[in-house]
Amino acid sequence: MKNKKLWYLTKQSLNRKIKSKWFVVVNILLVILIVGLLNIDSIIKTFGGDFNETTEVIVIDNTNKSYELLNESIKNTKSIFGDETKIELENYEQSLEDAKKEVEENDKLLIVLDNDDTNYMKATIISESYIDTILYQVIATSINSTKETIALSMSNIDVNELVSVTNPIEIERIFLDEEKNDASENLDMIMSTVFPILILPFFMLSIFLVQMIGAEVNDEKTTRGMEIIISNVSPKTHFFSKIIAGNLFVLIQGGILLLASIIGLFIRNLLGSNLLISSDIIDLSGIINLLNTSGLMDKLWIIIPLTLVLLLLSFIAYSLVAGILASMTTNIEDYQQIQTPIMIISLIGYYLSMMAPMFNGSIFIRIMSYIPFISCLLSPALLIMGQITIIDSIISIIMMVITIYLFIKYGLKIYKVGILNYSSSKLWTKMFKAIKEK
Amino acid sequence: MLKVENITKYYGDFKAVDNLSFEVKDGEIFGLLGINGAGKTTTFRMIMKLLDDYSGKITLDNKEIDYNITNKIGFLTEERSLLTKMTVKEQILFYGNLKDMKDNDILKKLDYWLDRFEISEYKDKKIKELSKGNQQKIQFISAIINNPKLLILDEPFSGLDPLNVEEFKRVILEFKEKGSTIIFSSHRMEHVEMFCEKLVILLKGKAVISGYINDIKKQYRKKNIRVKGDIIIKDLKQIDGVIDVEKLANEYIIKIEDESIIQNVFKYVSKCKNITKFEVEEATLNEIFIAKVGEAYEK
Repeated sequence: MKNKKLWYLTKQSLNRKIKSKWFVVVNILLVILIVGLLNIDSIIKTFGGDFNETTEVIVIDNTNKSYELLNESIKNTKSIFGDETKIELENYEQSLEDAKKEVEENDKLLIVLDNDDTNYMKATIISESYIDTILYQVIATSINSTKETIALSMSNIDVNELVSVTNPIEIERIFLDEEKNDASENLDMIMSTVFPILILPFFMLSIFLVQMIGAEVNDEKTTRGMEIIISNVSPKTHFFSKIIAGNLFVLIQGGILLLASIIGLFIRNLLGSNLLISSDIIDLSGIINLLNTSGLMDKLWIIIPLTLVLLLLSFIAYSLVAGILASMTTNIEDYQQIQTPIMIISLIGYYLSMMAPMFNGSIFIRIMSYIPFISCLLSPALLIMGQITIIDSIISIIMMVITIYLFIKYGLKIYKVGILNYSSSKLWTKMFKAIKEK
Repeated sequence: MLKVENITKYYGDFKAVDNLSFEVKDGEIFGLLGINGAGKTTTFRMIMKLLDDYSGKITLDNKEIDYNITNKIGFLTEERSLLTKMTVKEQILFYGNLKDMKDNDILKKLDYWLDRFEISEYKDKKIKELSKGNQQKIQFISAIINNPKLLILDEPFSGLDPLNVEEFKRVILEFKEKGSTIIFSSHRMEHVEMFCEKLVILLKGKAVISGYINDIKKQYRKKNIRVKGDIIIKDLKQIDGVIDVEKLANEYIIKIEDESIIQNVFKYVSKCKNITKFEVEEATLNEIFIAKVGEAYEK
């Protein structure tokens, strides 16, 4: 009979959330936003703009030797900054005044190259209005490169030697640890950027969870509906119904986010395969290739389950602490205040997971990865980057299980007293007294 | 039968209920009275097992009250205990299900009671959209939806107009006829007087009066005499044993110390002109309450 009421309360609590029109509205918006975000480049391109236009650059070469070098240099530099930058160079042989007129009338860019006694060459860039940063960088880098080439040739250096000087150095990486490889090193950098994005939904869901349980318990308390509920079901049944409903809710919400992401990626793939657009923002095959070469794919069979277990345990711990704190407060405003420290701890975990690559080998970061509420965000990040071992992750899980056990053991006592307490006076005394009771 | 034996409850060092005992038989209506903070709500909470850290024993039909028998209990709290974001239908379904009732049964009974209280049109309205009186009706329906064996009513007439008070009274009496055990709390003594066979008056958690109302009234020696006619209050007050004379719109109430004074008052009144009424009555529960509670309070 007790189980029947537990499931009824759970169903009721869950229905109250997911059958509300706000849940539907918010999720429709979320799906639209996620799909939109994953296809933002297509959207931007669909609406058009002048980013496809070629920038016409006219050059007055007063040095009479730099134009060709500059043209070559710009081609090389563009490949570094991205081929999207379209520049068309023209050697302008008329007067400066005519060139300025050309700039004004046709929105062109003018580069004037002059000889310089001390610095080989000087340049002036003239435009009608502001120019974008990448374009400026491409031109500035190309001019410098041109200057370097001129300087080397003026120093009578042989052409082959000149090529050798200007070519970038080929760097070979050697790891004495056989398990390490070059791709894995790159992965550290990539994961430090990608992982916080992957973990962001979890962070959002944990906030949803804490807010949902707090709001419901406080609603039942402030309306005194709690008196009727607790006169029919035990506080324990009520407590667990909130925990189960809260966790089911975030799993459903998480599923919707995942589905939205899959839809977004599918649309992206569809647009890409139809060659409507080209994009380099999300290169899935590249990432998978990187995961393969780094050897991470071989470890995913253990990393994924460990991460999922840690995340699920963290959801349970979050819901337990939310229920306990909500029972202690008498209104939603007080609850907002009292739950802030937990959210800040979680935020610390989020930032630490982003900064982890900067502190490779840090004992402090390693210890932080064991701490409940931080571990769920930090431990998987460190594990993927190879900064901690599977044993460390298992320690984090054990710590989490112990925390959950303590929350259930002592939290239930607080909950039992708290949910029928409508006064905030001597609150902590009442709660400590409740903990001490057998 | 509900049996409360020697229950005592402390909140910290404060004794909220002090060795309270009473019993209510099937088909009886019992009044639990007292000034604010006397311990009534605490007693109700102990009966409902909302509080369990107390000494003493509470049984319903010789069984300790626990979650196995709360399905047989109906509880109307003093303050609104409705989840205001729900509709009337959702609310009653929710509370009915907590009593292990089937949805069909709940809805059938809900339709009956909504019709009875003439609020059928509010079935799909949110609780928060209802007036205070209609919310009280819904709260009452939620307490009786399971045809309770034990019905606890804490200030049931709060926020009701006189017509609805009458309807509530009829329903409560119907439950009494069906054999339900009913505990009732109210600050309105005329309601208690009309309903209850037995009562307890609490003061600082302790019973200052306990027993059948008729016995309590008989034991209370002070009487009232209602007189209609031309009397002089000053003269009446000079008679030994006359405590006070109160003038109403068209009659007087003469409060006397005991039955022996009646003869002297009658002698005086019979000399007065235009006397159309001379009626001896027992003190009202309100007077007994004020006298007894006041007396004990001063101690």
